[in-house]
Amino acid sequence: MLLAGLILAVAALADPWRAGGAFWDFGNAIGFVALAGLIFQMIPAPRGPPRPHERLGYWVLGVTLLHAFWFLAGDAAARFYLLPGGPLHMWLGLAAVLLLAGLSILARMPDRLRLHPSYRHFRKLHRHLALACLAAALLHVLLSGFYLPHGWQGAGLVALALICAFGRLRPQVAAVPAYLMAGGATVALFVLIREVAL
Amino acid sequence: MKWALAALFLAGVVLVVAGLPLGQPLPDRAARFGGGLRVLPMTFSHSSHFGKPCAACHHEFADRTIGPPCMTCHVTDHRVAPLLETQFHDLCQSCHLDESAAGRPSGPTRRCIACHLDDQAF
Repeated sequence: MLLAGLILAVAALADPWRAGGAFWDFGNAIGFVALAGLIFQMIPAPRGPPRPHERLGYWVLGVTLLHAFWFLAGDAAARFYLLPGGPLHMWLGLAAVLLLAGLSILARMPDRLRLHPSYRHFRKLHRHLALACLAAALLHVLLSGFYLPHGWQGAGLVALALICAFGRLRPQVAAVPAYLMAGGATVALFVLIREVAL
Repeated sequence: MKWALAALFLAGVVLVVAGLPLGQPLPDRAARFGGGLRVLPMTFSHSSHFGKPCAACHHEFADRTIGPPCMTCHVTDHRVAPLLETQFHDLCQSCHLDESAAGRPSGPTRRCIACHLDDQAF
């Protein structure tokens, strides 16, 4: 429930009057779902099998990659924003993807045990990398400034992220099907509001 | 998994450097509009902007700086050339967004390739 609400809340912060066309709105709705997943993953998860945090992390990474490749494959001019001279927010987006990929790879058994024999040490590094990833992703969204052009929208997004990352929330686990269903519904709503309701 | 991610990363690098070879025109950065600045192509149709005040874009009508074609100044004048992308994105996109928000036909608001195409009639 918390995950579904979080996905909806993150997407709802975006200005519904700002439409970028169905292609662009769909790609960015996927991006917002990925960001909501990332924010949810910042809530401490209880340790132990069957590792729902780890499984959800792979899906968040997959959705993030889909967001990136959607634009690279579907808009032949978008690639210039990732070449030298591209804007800062795109480099931050790339950094967030790479950090997220690193988080997933370095946390995967048995590599994790090879790199970090101490669980405490692993958790600390994983948390710090995740915070860097979240910061890069938030700046990517805020500095691109399209769907969240007003200060209060950005502040709302940052507040949500801070509450999840540092608030005293109960440890949460979420099932992948809940993420995919809530995410799919959010993407559909995000696009339909902009492309049909207007 | 790490190999799959490495392969995807490599595919991403290829897409960024070379572009997608299928299905759509590939714009390039080149010296255009009479200047040496390497810029993306732009498409624009006066006919689809019929009814808009000319001075909304043509500031030279108001400040009487009649000279070469408008884009030539914007890619050769050292004061404005560095602002080319920001100025044109702001000018075109803000108007398109206003039209879109008002529920009128707006033209592209976000999709890069919708504007960055060669247009001989610019």
